[in-house]
Amino acid sequence: MEKLKQKDLILYSGLIILGLAAPYLFSAFKVQLTYLCVLIVLAMTWNLQGGEMGYNTFGNILFYGLGMYLTASVQVGMFFPLAEWTESGGEKTFVHTTAQYFQGIGVGLLVSAIVPAVIAGAIGYAILGLRGHYFAICTLGLGIAAGEIAGGIEIIGAGQGFTTPPFPAEIVDTEARGKFFYFLSFALLVGTFIFVKYIYGSRFRLILNAIRDNEDKAEAMGIQTMKYKIVGWMCSAFFCGLAGGIMGGLIGYIDSTDVAFDGREMGVFMVLMAILGGKGTLWGPVIGATLFHFFKEGLWTLILGWQYVALGVLIVVIVVYFPEGLMGWLREKYPERFGEVIDEKDRKAQVELK
Amino acid sequence: MNKIAKLFVTFISAITLALVSFTSSFAKVEGEYIVLGSAISLTGKYSSNGVHTQNGYNMAVDRINKMGGVEVQGKKYKFEIIYYDDESNPKRAAQLAERLIKQDGVHYMLGPYSSGLTKAIAPVTEKYKIPMVEANGASRSLFTKGYKYLFAVLSPANQYLEVAIDLAVEKNGGKGVKIAQAFEQDAFSQDVRLGILDAAKRTGSEIIIDDKLPKELNDMAATLAKVKAVKPDVLVVSGHTKGALTAIRQISEMKVDVPMLAMTHCDAAKLSKQHGKKSEFALCASQWHKNLSYKDKFFGSGKKYAKDFQKEFGYDPPYQSAESSAALLVFKDAFERANSFDRDAVRDALVDTEMQTFYGNIKFGPGGQNVAKPMILFQVRCKGDDCENRVVAPTKWASDKFYHPIPKWSERS
Repeated sequence: MEKLKQKDLILYSGLIILGLAAPYLFSAFKVQLTYLCVLIVLAMTWNLQGGEMGYNTFGNILFYGLGMYLTASVQVGMFFPLAEWTESGGEKTFVHTTAQYFQGIGVGLLVSAIVPAVIAGAIGYAILGLRGHYFAICTLGLGIAAGEIAGGIEIIGAGQGFTTPPFPAEIVDTEARGKFFYFLSFALLVGTFIFVKYIYGSRFRLILNAIRDNEDKAEAMGIQTMKYKIVGWMCSAFFCGLAGGIMGGLIGYIDSTDVAFDGREMGVFMVLMAILGGKGTLWGPVIGATLFHFFKEGLWTLILGWQYVALGVLIVVIVVYFPEGLMGWLREKYPERFGEVIDEKDRKAQVELK
Repeated sequence: MNKIAKLFVTFISAITLALVSFTSSFAKVEGEYIVLGSAISLTGKYSSNGVHTQNGYNMAVDRINKMGGVEVQGKKYKFEIIYYDDESNPKRAAQLAERLIKQDGVHYMLGPYSSGLTKAIAPVTEKYKIPMVEANGASRSLFTKGYKYLFAVLSPANQYLEVAIDLAVEKNGGKGVKIAQAFEQDAFSQDVRLGILDAAKRTGSEIIIDDKLPKELNDMAATLAKVKAVKPDVLVVSGHTKGALTAIRQISEMKVDVPMLAMTHCDAAKLSKQHGKKSEFALCASQWHKNLSYKDKFFGSGKKYAKDFQKEFGYDPPYQSAESSAALLVFKDAFERANSFDRDAVRDALVDTEMQTFYGNIKFGPGGQNVAKPMILFQVRCKGDDCENRVVAPTKWASDKFYHPIPKWSERS
């Protein structure tokens, strides 16, 4: 972090300029670009948990969904009675003024970051003692349970869903909404990236890696693994919640199992994207999410009805040919470019041993 | 790291170039085609009804194009639809609506299947002022939002089974009845529930079981066990196609005796074919039935529509297909009356729609819902092993008398 090389600087400033210019360059693609930012954030936060710490979780969707419901609830609840807003599938109509809308979403996002992080702490305290598959299965249940529970809570619309406040009508520009959500998600992406990059240069990451590589040894070295595992998960939850909050506002309609606690799609996608790009790397999830999103948007409409078959094939291909992801594959092929020094003698010796 | 960074930059610039060179090549009207857009559930839990909807749209497009198309300012145009698969997911549907409008340049939309997805798409079409004629979003809350560009050819969901409760009360000598109900956790079914709650209040009926069923519904044994224990006068079930199939399967397996069974989506589920005699006496709410005597010049009567549909797609059209076909007729009519492709002119013409189609009369209320067409109820009746849907209410259209109460399973052959 302290010595950003010149080339890196060029890369980052280039990307930021591209990111800022994108909604103007590709005006028609704003919504897809917003999705891309959110997907990258989800992949990166999953990577913290699954890639760096080695705790494969399917439960991050819980924080994403929570963030979504919380932002919308706060945004409505600050100015109107929430129960009436959602009653009978949202029959009554209340209108936010421009100021109310932005104040609401601001406070809502704040809540949607903090509450999921706190909940991650509490749940983590309870279940992070589980390891390996047991942890994965346990978290799988979290998302499913949350979806079913949310579907029964009347005040957030239950099965009829929750229509989030419409973008203020006083803003006439039809592009304004798209831009607002794009820049919001882009800011989140930049924030998340800086945070993750910071972690990559810190002792914290080494501890997470130690937990992944051998938790017992890490503990024997005097690391309080439980504490770090919980903090790690809370970091994931913080950004997942924010991502959910933004998505809720963008989609405009929250459904308990299909939009918020959408473990079948978003929950799987975030794992897939991180693995596709290469888990345990900084750029892996970014590249994975970008590739995945382009694959999805580009190809899915061409193969109407077969897209999930294609997705299945993609998963198989990734797992069979790129088990370490694209970054892992590149690293194996061109180790010197990753700054790894190879001892030719040692490599030959190993080949002979085989 | 730097090499990787370079690779990444190359990748990004490649994508940038690709995106810039991809400019929207479609337009609202292209040559002789009027391009409509629709996100449809071709996969996921609504896929069967999504296909019914798509077939309905396609059937009408073919027919209208064959019979001369749409005449605007003296020129003949044909309809064309761009479809995307929304995977039965509201998130995807909203995204695709945006894509249809912004990238494909669509200026007129056809609705998706189901209330939930329509709820997700309506804010998008409203934002861009795109007229949307939808045929499958019945949730009442769609019509109280003050949407100006949303038009539904169907009756709101809360009206689906209200009539059934009235019928039960009538059979009970005007006294309130005991109602057991189970509804799927989705926007449409929950709206049907609201209708029942209203009807119960109005008739002084009592709701003794009020269950919520999960999405991807395939088990309701717990509800049925309760029904067996408390013996209600009416059992109401709604959960799209899967709900209807599950209900009949488990009611017959568990031999649940109930005097009256009211449901939705029986025809979409092809209940009388799938379950035959087991489904006999089930009472079903429907937007349309082929025996009704509405007519138009494109499809003729409902019976003719059913015959043509059967020939084209190999099954009897459920009302989901019929109403979807009607949506196209509404659009054609509006374009011709507007005599323009201006979105607001088309929208204003839609507001003034007053027409008869094979599917029913269509006239839009202030919220955009169709106020000119009543819901109907039919009952599954069998002759031998051959089962059919017969209209029993309202009396104006009824071809058969309503059979009540349903005989006990021990007495059924």
